[in-house]
Amino acid sequence: MKHSTYIYGSIVVSALLFALVGCDKTPEQPVFEPYAETSLDLTGGTWKTYIVANGSETALPVPEATTSAAYQVELTSLKAVMAATTSEEQDLSRHWGANGVLRWHEITRELAAQYNNAPKNNPDGTYPVPDPANPTVYPRFPFANPPYTARALALLSVAHYDALVTAWHHKFLHKRLAPYRNDLSIIPLIPGNDLPSYPSEDAVIAAASREVLKFLFPGEKALLDSKSAEHKKSRLWAGANVQSDLDAGDSLGAAVAKRIIAYAKTDLMGAANKQADVPLLIADATARGITRQWTSLEKPARPPLLPFYGNVKTWNFTAAEKVALRPAAPPAFESAEFTKALDELRDISKKRTSEQYRIASFWADGTNSYTPPGHWDRKGAELIYAAQMNELRSARTMALLNTAVQDAGISCWDIKYYYLLPRPTEVDSEIKTCTGIPNFPAYTSGHSTFSGAAAEVLSYIFPASKSELKAFAHEASESRIYGCIHYRFDCEIGLSVGEKVGGYAVVRGKNDGSE
Amino acid sequence: MKHITLLYLLLLLGTAKAQSPTDGLMMPKKNICNLLQYSHSSWNEYWEGTLLRKNDNLGTVRTQQLMLMSNYGITDRLNVMAALPYIWTTNDGYFQGQKGLQDISIFLKYQILQRKIAGGDFKIQTTGGASTPVSKYQNDFLPFSIGLGSKTVSLRAILNYTHKSGAYATIQAGHAWRSHAHLHRDAYLLNNILYYTDEVPVPNVVDATARLGYINKNLQVEGWYDYSTGLTGDDIRYNEAPFVGNKMEMGAVGVFAKYRIKAIAFQVGGSTVLSGRNVGKNTTISAGLLYIVDFNKKTKE
Repeated sequence: MKHSTYIYGSIVVSALLFALVGCDKTPEQPVFEPYAETSLDLTGGTWKTYIVANGSETALPVPEATTSAAYQVELTSLKAVMAATTSEEQDLSRHWGANGVLRWHEITRELAAQYNNAPKNNPDGTYPVPDPANPTVYPRFPFANPPYTARALALLSVAHYDALVTAWHHKFLHKRLAPYRNDLSIIPLIPGNDLPSYPSEDAVIAAASREVLKFLFPGEKALLDSKSAEHKKSRLWAGANVQSDLDAGDSLGAAVAKRIIAYAKTDLMGAANKQADVPLLIADATARGITRQWTSLEKPARPPLLPFYGNVKTWNFTAAEKVALRPAAPPAFESAEFTKALDELRDISKKRTSEQYRIASFWADGTNSYTPPGHWDRKGAELIYAAQMNELRSARTMALLNTAVQDAGISCWDIKYYYLLPRPTEVDSEIKTCTGIPNFPAYTSGHSTFSGAAAEVLSYIFPASKSELKAFAHEASESRIYGCIHYRFDCEIGLSVGEKVGGYAVVRGKNDGSE
Repeated sequence: MKHITLLYLLLLLGTAKAQSPTDGLMMPKKNICNLLQYSHSSWNEYWEGTLLRKNDNLGTVRTQQLMLMSNYGITDRLNVMAALPYIWTTNDGYFQGQKGLQDISIFLKYQILQRKIAGGDFKIQTTGGASTPVSKYQNDFLPFSIGLGSKTVSLRAILNYTHKSGAYATIQAGHAWRSHAHLHRDAYLLNNILYYTDEVPVPNVVDATARLGYINKNLQVEGWYDYSTGLTGDDIRYNEAPFVGNKMEMGAVGVFAKYRIKAIAFQVGGSTVLSGRNVGKNTTISAGLLYIVDFNKKTKE
């Protein structure tokens, strides 16, 4: 009996220990630390912009000289703010100080995941459509599916980049250094540098992000205002900017964002979900001899996802070049090649391995996730952080990456709705999937196209990571075969078209003045 | 839907009433009871948060299970138990059903006190247990997954009163602490926050059961109500799949009967979920065969 009591006692004790240790189960998030940038890119103000004509297009007032009384008052007030900072504010200053560009990409990926929610059907079998005029009413606007998220990340990245090129232009025009260079009693909480601080690059990023994201996620205005205000204040807590640096940066960032939003309003995204025109698209395919066409496998049948996204304005190539990117038609249904592709899926469906499950799940990036464009945006952010890029070069990297990824989406959607190929399960209902079947045609694979483009661009910027990036893209592409939602030819051709799409962004990168 | 699997973890033990970790019975010293049980659960409605709904893309989700369970009397007051289920799921949609060995559980059950009161026996028992997955099943594919992929440690207290007429009443309550689960992906939403890790906190669970029944040498019949809830976790997002990190809650009623002839016993059970949150509205039936060996007799022979 004593022995059994002892055994039992040990179980009780271990359970209690487990309970105590396991009290706080909140998962740990990665922590990013501020760093000293590897380069300041002194000629960044001359780099080629996307939407604004050039870095000098947007005007800014001449700042007060550092010897002026007004500037000295700003320094005094900055020191008072710094003396009063709480430890929480100091933590936030390091959080934002670890590259504001990347922090806003995190915010955008989180919003994308929160809004990546396909509307539930009405009782009569129809589906409600998110309304940008009533963004907080269900179904909330936007439905941040992969094409929407690709565009959101591209617009954010381009806004950052164009605004920062403009900021660099003014920084080196006025050459007003940071407060800690003008008053050595100010010890910044983040690594200092010799980058002129008027206008503040952080305020530029905060304002451009706030305005562009309010356009993209209109139900989140309060959150975006508060994040933007916190970002700007973090520069005072850190001792890195005076108030006039921030004010100039905010007005510059907002002015450039206005230009980006004007572009976005005319990029044809507004017509991408024009379901009324789907019969035209079907008739066009039928006229080209495509008679066996994709239909929705959802119950009740859901209208196809963004059938005219293929018409949205591309960033790095023309509409004619987009048409030239279209591959040949997929193999005919009764052909040996098609049967071979279908048989591969039948096999996988019957005996999917643990590794195939793992890969399908790792790259699924389905609803409630940041989507495949978000997955690659995250990869880009990790590489930028590891390379300790300054904000301007970070924005350039993200702009090249995300414009290529959106271009990949546009090209892929153009191809999908040109060929209207049914999903494998529609052809053979015995093919069972381990991930949701996307509600649009199969050929070619979106994941593969996004990934081909992303890996091509990131390999150009981070050549040391090329083999890893290409392997990632290949795995992302294969993951859709393991999930049994794509034929192998969807993926292989998608990946190859994606690489070509990425190549256009690489050409731009080589000629933007940054090398 | 995951619920279904969670339900399983609980119902598996709830419906296996043969000297289970949650009932008021003990195996005598040097007796072993081995149970092989089949059960079938299905639902075509589930609670998305607190909203009870159907989903034609899933149709009816079925979970079947074969479970082996053994209970050995180390002494009259201390039992050790082990259970291992094989589970398979199907659905009417295009999703791959899942199958495999789920989690192995071991329990130690100790009778703290036994008193004669008012013409019957009053007993207080406690059970401590632990479980761990035995196969690498897919836990991020709810409601088709066979389990949550979490290790657990549990503690419970059981009060039983059995009148000499055979009528009995049992109440029990338990707490299970669960380890993080690991996903194949390294980013997920929980409580509207995007976490950059593959580690998901699986909510700890409390549960309680009340039973009323009759027992004699051959026959046992019982009705029960069971309630369990996750202590943390979020709701299934609107029109989305369930997730390991959801707060799963349910109340279920069930009936159970067992008939014993010497070393062999048969048992049947049925239960249905009445209320819930982020779980399927499951109806379960089960049938089991028990084989009891008394090593005392064998020693004597």
